[in-house]
Amino acid sequence: MKRRQYVIGAVSFAVAFVIFVIPFIFVVINAMKSAAESARLDFRLPQKWQFWQNLTDVVQARDYMLLLAYFNSTVITVGAVTLLVIFGALVGYVLQRRPSRFSSFVYAFVLTGLMIPPAVVPTIWVLQEINLFKTLHGMILIQVAYGLGFTVLLYRAFIASIPRDLDEAAIVDGARPLQVFFRVILPLLEPVTVTVIVVQSIAIFNDFTHPLYYLPGRENVTVQLTLYNFQSQFVSQMNLLFMNILLVTIPPLIVFIFFNRQIVAGMTSGAVKG
Amino acid sequence: MSRVELKQLRKSYGAVEVMKGIDLVVEPGEFCVFVGPSGCGKSTLLRMIAGLEEQTSGQIEIAGRDVSFDEPSKRGIAMVFQSYALYPHLSVRDNIGFGLSLARRPKAEIRQKVDAVGEILQLGPFMDRKPKALSGGQRQRVAIGRAIVRDPQVFLFDEPLSNLDAALRSQMRLELTELHARLGATMIYVTHDQVEAMTMADKIVVMNAGRIEQVGTPMELYQRPATPFVAGFIGSPRMNLFDGDVARRMGCDVYGIRPEHLLISESDGRWTGQVRHVERLGADTILHLDVPELGALVARTDGNCSFHPGQVVQASPQPDMEFFYAAPG
Amino acid sequence: MKRKSHYPYWFMLPAISVFFVLFIVPTLASLYFSLTIWDPFEARFSGFENYVQFFSEPFLVRGVVNTVGFAIVTCVLKTILGLLLAVLLTSGVWGQGLLRSIVFFPVLVSTIGVGLLFQEMMHPTQGAINVALSWIGINGPGWLTNPSLALFSVALVDVWRGVGLATLIYIAGLATISPDYYEAARIDGATRLQQFWRVTVPLVWPATTTVVMLSLISGLRLFDLVWAMTRGGPGFSSDVLASVIYKQYQSGFWGLSTAGNVILFIMIAVIIAPLTYWFNKREVES
Repeated sequence: MKRRQYVIGAVSFAVAFVIFVIPFIFVVINAMKSAAESARLDFRLPQKWQFWQNLTDVVQARDYMLLLAYFNSTVITVGAVTLLVIFGALVGYVLQRRPSRFSSFVYAFVLTGLMIPPAVVPTIWVLQEINLFKTLHGMILIQVAYGLGFTVLLYRAFIASIPRDLDEAAIVDGARPLQVFFRVILPLLEPVTVTVIVVQSIAIFNDFTHPLYYLPGRENVTVQLTLYNFQSQFVSQMNLLFMNILLVTIPPLIVFIFFNRQIVAGMTSGAVKG
Repeated sequence: MSRVELKQLRKSYGAVEVMKGIDLVVEPGEFCVFVGPSGCGKSTLLRMIAGLEEQTSGQIEIAGRDVSFDEPSKRGIAMVFQSYALYPHLSVRDNIGFGLSLARRPKAEIRQKVDAVGEILQLGPFMDRKPKALSGGQRQRVAIGRAIVRDPQVFLFDEPLSNLDAALRSQMRLELTELHARLGATMIYVTHDQVEAMTMADKIVVMNAGRIEQVGTPMELYQRPATPFVAGFIGSPRMNLFDGDVARRMGCDVYGIRPEHLLISESDGRWTGQVRHVERLGADTILHLDVPELGALVARTDGNCSFHPGQVVQASPQPDMEFFYAAPG
Repeated sequence: MKRKSHYPYWFMLPAISVFFVLFIVPTLASLYFSLTIWDPFEARFSGFENYVQFFSEPFLVRGVVNTVGFAIVTCVLKTILGLLLAVLLTSGVWGQGLLRSIVFFPVLVSTIGVGLLFQEMMHPTQGAINVALSWIGINGPGWLTNPSLALFSVALVDVWRGVGLATLIYIAGLATISPDYYEAARIDGATRLQQFWRVTVPLVWPATTTVVMLSLISGLRLFDLVWAMTRGGPGFSSDVLASVIYKQYQSGFWGLSTAGNVILFIMIAVIIAPLTYWFNKREVES
């Protein structure tokens, strides 16, 4: 490597550090301060480190609402991602394997979901009509509907790389359609499934807008909603607000460290040559 | 061992007819090869017999039973794909036993049958490997093993050797022929390679543009090609074929003479021409001649002949080796 | 007698029914409800009244204009910065793997978390940004309190959060360009700058299409960041369509809110459709 590249690298690091890293350090420092210290919003290190105290304060606030929020968010995320994987893979499989007018129509239909924003108030009306408004399973189905386009896009592209001969060999071997899918195709979808799981989990876990509309009420609170509501409650306790921000930042950080490759694959395969 | 009979089999995609009424009988235990240029419909025909493509009209009988609308798995066939189509996530053992496991046969029975097949194909040491860890020839054997274990009435092969290198290909040709002799089963084999067709077949079916051009033993096709297409397709180097004025002078629409049936001499012969190019293959020499009377002519002579480019030579067809066709193919 | 396909359409039934009921039905219903005076109790047909209101009330017009401005500013910044960062991060500089991760990580962080964090950092007197600026003698502005600056500040944060995705897409796009082109250009005597304009920019065009489309669509739809940072304020100065839709919904003007939604669809269609056409045409030509 040339000297120039070291210099450019070092300068880039300095700039990237200031712009992208310092805000996170700011969160960490302030999450450990006392309420009085954090009110000054500065970069000074805490005089008194109180990580555990702030953590327990945040968790206990409003009658352990944060734990409920993590529980709800986890249920929604796990439920929606499970359905998305199975539903999305089935749709991507049929659309890729059975080219027809009808398939193209369905595909175009599903992809509109990537572009058009949902009509929120009419959606609330529909949810009320079928008794799913303000319910976790209603929220799960909403996330399935909104995440379907991207999931189908990923699966359809990946399935195109699996030779049809495999399906036909299984058909000759006597496999019925569901057996071909579950015993031959689905096991081969593992790489793209990991990508779908990781990318959709992060998107659904971080979603604020849709729970705000479709899940009002204390008992249904999600992680992003509590974070937002805590803001008004913690005006005088910035340390707790920052602790809360820190808590919502850690899960994606862990996922990112372990699944960097899959996330990158998912974000770009869906994007380049959409 | 079963007979396969196709009756007026047709297939069209919209207005385009790709299979134009095929009638064919494959006798029990026969090794039958479908051969033809790419796009002639030979693979489609095989896939129709397998049930992977549906015919537009016509009938398919296997062992005397009309299977035209049966599922592939109910036709008593097994198929070896060009890409082998081995399930990448399963071991060799599970690949071979996949069909039996779908049919919910007892574990012990599956194991015993799969082991027996592994034995025949000498796959013993590889039974627990994944297909990725096998060589091309080993994968080929697994694909064949998956077919054998079904104990089918008819084996179908779709260009099974085209992914192998030349040396392995000739070895597998031999193995397949031996396998056929051992199992005695009816086999239908698709290839675009006339060498595979000539060396392995009991019966060759030459196809062109969705039609059968000729059916016969390898030597019948070589000695008595029914159409100019078959004449040009079977034999290497290709038969010299002339139409238009040249053929009319000979009293036919297409005139053909094989390169190996031309006598070349410096003194006398039917046609006079100039040597344009000499290809020395060792045992044989291929001469490319410019004959004013005919056009370009290819001839095969001895390996150690002394012809050289620019030389003027005489060429004569051997008696009874000329072909005269009416109506061009 | 026709045999059944081995890829039956009913495989898609569960997914399509969920999608149809929860996405398509509301979308179609919105076309009707946008023409009504609708509140939690009844929906009364009122013709185009809501649309007329949307384009006559100044604070609603403001929302429409802001949405377009926000989408364009963030899209341009993300595209340009994304391409430059991608070129830098594929040039083999020291530590480029880690740098990529640093730039990309904010994409994965909760938007609300980012919004609240920057809300504190952009505090006019105590905020970290203005404190840092004061060290070098600059008197920082009221990022979120100055009505003519608030939306732009939100846009900057959106770029901070989203440029990593643009960079990532560009990196993937750059990876598809064969080094042969650069070598050929160098043999032809092209300078680095010429290589960038004559080789990189045209050959990375598919990635540009994606980045522009993605950031425009997400810019037009943006809600959470605005809501976390300004709630559309001060006044209505940083309202965008999505926040107007939410506010009208909260106030019980469901018909008006839905009309906002329909305007948003139409806007996206009107902006995206010609762009898609233009991008595809250029792609074919080049």
